[in-house]
Amino acid sequence: MTVEEQIREIIARITHVDKSLITREATFKDIKADSLDIVQTLVAVEEAFGIEIPDEEAQKFQNFGDFVSYVEGRVVQKERV
Amino acid sequence: MSFEGKLALVTGGGRGIGRAIALKLASQGADIVVNFFRRREAAEQTAEDIRALGVKAEVIRANVGDPAKVDEMFDTIGNKFGRLDILINNAASGVGRSVMDIDVKAWDWTMDINARACLLCAQRAARLMEGRGGKIVSLSSLGSFLVWPTYAIVGVSKGALETLTRYLAIELAPRGICVNAVAASFVETEALKFYFTEGLNQDNIPTTPAGRRVTPEDVANVVAFLCSEEAFMIRGQTIIIDGGSSICSPLFSFKKND
Repeated sequence: MTVEEQIREIIARITHVDKSLITREATFKDIKADSLDIVQTLVAVEEAFGIEIPDEEAQKFQNFGDFVSYVEGRVVQKERV
Repeated sequence: MSFEGKLALVTGGGRGIGRAIALKLASQGADIVVNFFRRREAAEQTAEDIRALGVKAEVIRANVGDPAKVDEMFDTIGNKFGRLDILINNAASGVGRSVMDIDVKAWDWTMDINARACLLCAQRAARLMEGRGGKIVSLSSLGSFLVWPTYAIVGVSKGALETLTRYLAIELAPRGICVNAVAASFVETEALKFYFTEGLNQDNIPTTPAGRRVTPEDVANVVAFLCSEEAFMIRGQTIIIDGGSSICSPLFSFKKND
C-alpha cells in the first residue's frame, strides 16, 4: 500500500468518511472533520510511519495532497537516516 | 524560595501556563524537563529560555493521554536523571461541546489527557521520588464547579483531577510527597483564544474584583509556592486563582480593566 493509500485508510477510519471523498484536493473542512479528528489523524499517521508531524507543519497543509507529500518526504528522510 | 538542585517535570510545559511554571521554577534554580505533544518549536524555545537562566532543560515529547508514552517519558527521565523532585501535571486538552453533543471519542480523549494522565504520571513520579519525597501540583480549572459554555467534558475531567489530588495527597503523604492542585479562571493564553473562537463571547467574561484577568505568571507564582517547603502543611487542596471572581455576586459592579 502506498503512503497515500495508508493515509486515506487512517482518515476514513477516524472520521468515518467514505474513502472516495478523501481526494488529494479535499480538505479536513470538506469532510467535516473537527479538531479532535484532525489531531487523532496526525497521531495515527505519526505512529504508522514512525515520524513526527508538529502542529507548526500541519497548519501549512492546504489539502490532503500537501499532507501526503509531507509524509512521503519525511519517510524518505527517515529511510536515509 | 529556592529549588536549586531539584528536578521538575512540567507536562505541557512548552506553552501558556506550563511555560510560565517551567520558567518560574527554573528562575528559582530547578532543572526542568519540558514535556510537549504537538508543538515542538514552542517546547524547544521554552527549553532555550530555561537554559538562559543557568539551569538544565530537557525536552521530551509524549502524549500523556497514551499510557505507553507516559511510561517511555518516565523511563527516559529515570535513565537520564535517576530521580524527580517535582511533577507539574499541566498538560490538558479538550473538545468544546455541549452535553448533548458529547460522544465517546471526545470524552475518552479529554479524560485520558486531563485526568488519567495525572494518575499515571503521579504513580511513575512517586517511584522516582522514593526516599527523597517530592511535590506534585496539578492544574485544574474553575470549570470543575462553575458551568461554562461547551466546557462540560473538560469540567468533568478537572473535577476528577481535583478528587484524585485529595486521594494522592493522603496516600502519598507517608512517602513525603505533597500533592495539591490549582484552579484558575480564564487565563490569558493561546488556549483561551481558541475557547472564545469555539464557544464563548469574550464580552461575557465576568468582571474581576482584582481588576484584571489572570496571567500565566499569576498561576506560576502559586504553583511555585505549593512546590516550596513553606507549603508543607497544605495537602490535597485546590487553590483558586481568580482575582475573586468566583465568590463575587453579580450584584457587585466592578470597573472592567481588561
